[in-house]
Amino acid sequence: MALLEETGRQSDMTPPARWARGVLLPLGFAVLVLALWQIFCERMRIPPILLPPPSAVWAVLRDNYAILLEQALPTATETVVSFAVASLLGVALAVALTFSAWVREALYPNIVMFQLIPKIALAPLFIVWLGVGEKTATVVAVFIAFFPVVVSSATGLASAKPEVLQLCRSLAASEWQTFRMVRFPYAMPFIFAGMKVGVTMAMIGVVVGEFITVQKGLGYIILFAAGAGETATVLAAIVLLCGIGLALYGAVELAERAVRRWYGGEMPVGGVI
Amino acid sequence: MSAESQAAPAVAAPACGRTIGPSLYGLRPVLLPLATAAAMLLAWQFAAVLLRIPSLVLPTPVEIGRELWRALPALLVEALPTTRDTLMAFGAASALGVVLAVAISYSPLLRDMLYPNLVFFQLVPKVALAPLFVIWLGVGSPSRVAFAGFVSFFPIVIAAAVGFAGAEPAALRLCRSLTASEWRCFMLVRFPFALPAIFSGMKVAMTMAVIGVIIGEFISSQAGLGFYILNAGSRLDTADVFAALVVLCALGVALYGAVALAERAVRRVYGRH
Amino acid sequence: MPVVEGNHCIEASAVSKIYRGGTPAAVEAVSSVSFAVPHGQFVAILGPSGCGKSTLLMMVGGLEPVSSGSIVIDGAPMTGPRTSIGIMFQDPTLLPWKSALDNVLFPIRVLQRPVESYRETARNLLERVGLDGFEHKKPHELSGGMRQRVAICRTLVYDPDLLLMDEPFSALDAISRDEMNELLLDLWQQYRKTALFVTHSIREAVLLADRVLVMTKRPATIVEDLAIPFPRPRAISIGESREFNAICAHLRERIEESHDRPRSRRTGAAREEPAP
Repeated sequence: MALLEETGRQSDMTPPARWARGVLLPLGFAVLVLALWQIFCERMRIPPILLPPPSAVWAVLRDNYAILLEQALPTATETVVSFAVASLLGVALAVALTFSAWVREALYPNIVMFQLIPKIALAPLFIVWLGVGEKTATVVAVFIAFFPVVVSSATGLASAKPEVLQLCRSLAASEWQTFRMVRFPYAMPFIFAGMKVGVTMAMIGVVVGEFITVQKGLGYIILFAAGAGETATVLAAIVLLCGIGLALYGAVELAERAVRRWYGGEMPVGGVI
Repeated sequence: MSAESQAAPAVAAPACGRTIGPSLYGLRPVLLPLATAAAMLLAWQFAAVLLRIPSLVLPTPVEIGRELWRALPALLVEALPTTRDTLMAFGAASALGVVLAVAISYSPLLRDMLYPNLVFFQLVPKVALAPLFVIWLGVGSPSRVAFAGFVSFFPIVIAAAVGFAGAEPAALRLCRSLTASEWRCFMLVRFPFALPAIFSGMKVAMTMAVIGVIIGEFISSQAGLGFYILNAGSRLDTADVFAALVVLCALGVALYGAVALAERAVRRVYGRH
Repeated sequence: MPVVEGNHCIEASAVSKIYRGGTPAAVEAVSSVSFAVPHGQFVAILGPSGCGKSTLLMMVGGLEPVSSGSIVIDGAPMTGPRTSIGIMFQDPTLLPWKSALDNVLFPIRVLQRPVESYRETARNLLERVGLDGFEHKKPHELSGGMRQRVAICRTLVYDPDLLLMDEPFSALDAISRDEMNELLLDLWQQYRKTALFVTHSIREAVLLADRVLVMTKRPATIVEDLAIPFPRPRAISIGESREFNAICAHLRERIEESHDRPRSRRTGAAREEPAP
């Protein structure tokens, strides 16, 4: 997932004329798809339960926005809380891994293993432990979002150039000094890459958690409306979900840009998985 | 992760080279994490027994093992549809993803039009669309394959597109200067250069495909490991949930391992780069 | 600069380094090397890539433990890194998020000395190496030669007694490299610090050093200890003299003699960088 950053950076460097193309063309394409979708639904008389036209989705958003926003609030809160907790715990564990070679060698492969298995399948267990409620969805999301942050941050904290570390040793720098002045700044790009994956993972965790547990939230609305055949409402809820996801992702991206400016030109692209 | 393995031992190596014999030294990276995992299982066992945690909340590893042994035939039967759906989804996503990435890499117009939209889709919580696939394709296997394929398609397309764009310009120029056809340039230069990126996309896609199938089984299926887990969870048979999770984790790791092995084989053919 | 009369600054006796000792894959990177460097002398260690000269330098700097033998610095046995030593690497190893001035002040921060009282020293050093006006530029805005100049300032700012330089200019283009050599001659004329300079360029060694130690692979040991007779201050133009070229030819011969096959490079066998 981190790979797409590279292309993002390339588009940053393009001159204004190309920038217009870079923004307007994809937007235009998206609008074209929506228009075709609308025409397709109207001309072919597709039953709205199968595929409502965009105008119907818009109508739901416009008429029911109060209800939808009320349901979006818990979802947004769960996502933000779980993402924040996962990021803090993830970076903290990565720091612990950096300071002890034994802890690192003992835990890191197990963490990577967890990265590979479908953790979402553990969601029903959290219901057993925590019952059906918002807390469960939040904990599921923390659990899922935590691992990419740890793996990426630990990789980053180990990515400082060996020569720089030797320089620190030649100055008899303490472990803490080396960490604060060298390792942590070098890890910033990786921590951000991990956090970006973490945002999307937290979102997935919250939605799945709401699918299987909660009696409110956008995930619940989606499943409920799908069961009732109100596909337009499903799509409206998804639009709001996308809004939440993008806003959070955008916040991380903005923070990363600020750090990038502080870091200077050649901040490397962090990688995960 | 590669940075981790290169830089990290620089601190640890001098000390442990002496404390542990040379023959054990090579095995330490394998033994230590395994021992840690075993120690955690032991601690779990003792904690569950000593604290008298009801097996409904947290069964002991021994109970889980016994349950796994008892339910293994049934679990393997359930694993079959899950595996089949995952492989079909992964195969379709890989094929379509690489093809679209090739198209994107050859047409700047197509790239500018599609790429930002693909990245957008990569960021939004696609799992929320699962109920729609049930509406469109019913509760059978096709809806899960389509949904899992949809979820795992984006990582591949984006990674492969970045990979194709990252081919060494000098190598491409050399190829053109030898008046090779576009097709030969692609096969000889672009494709080999993109392989690492494609494989890293495929690894993400494989984990996403498993997640997609499991979520699909959570919300619609009457068979498969996801259904089994949810069913056992609602019976509050926690040991059974864990037994199914063990099988699912093994499945996830095996599928991921298959991609990693394929990558190794391909790398041997093309040489390391 | 404190000078201990009559004593050597560096005394290395029978120093060896063996990687993966005790295993069949053991590699002897340095084999029983002995030499002594008096205070204020500029010594170049010359040898082909992979002959273990960088490892030797790292051992003198206390960054690598010796496998056997002993290293004594200023009369005290080497036990670990000490702050009377300044090290320069092939890579300038600047921190990308710090300005040139802050990079120069980095050792002061690590050593927890008062940064403010060194700011002027750092500025003067940057000016001395021709980087006035670049104090607030970040490394990516500087050329390779400029970055290495910043690294020189960073090494000098805390006034170490002994400079260890590990092929500091080998990543630069030929023109920048000449400039850097000239700058180093000039700086050394001013500071007169004891220096150990590792290089694989014969001309660079002869131009800069009072004394050249030739190291070879297999066995990784010193085969020649040659005093360079040119008076100081030196100009880079001595490189055109006949005597200079004669010394270079002699050294080249000594290096080639000690190889079974000249210019053969075994890759991977004995890496020059200290392998983890």
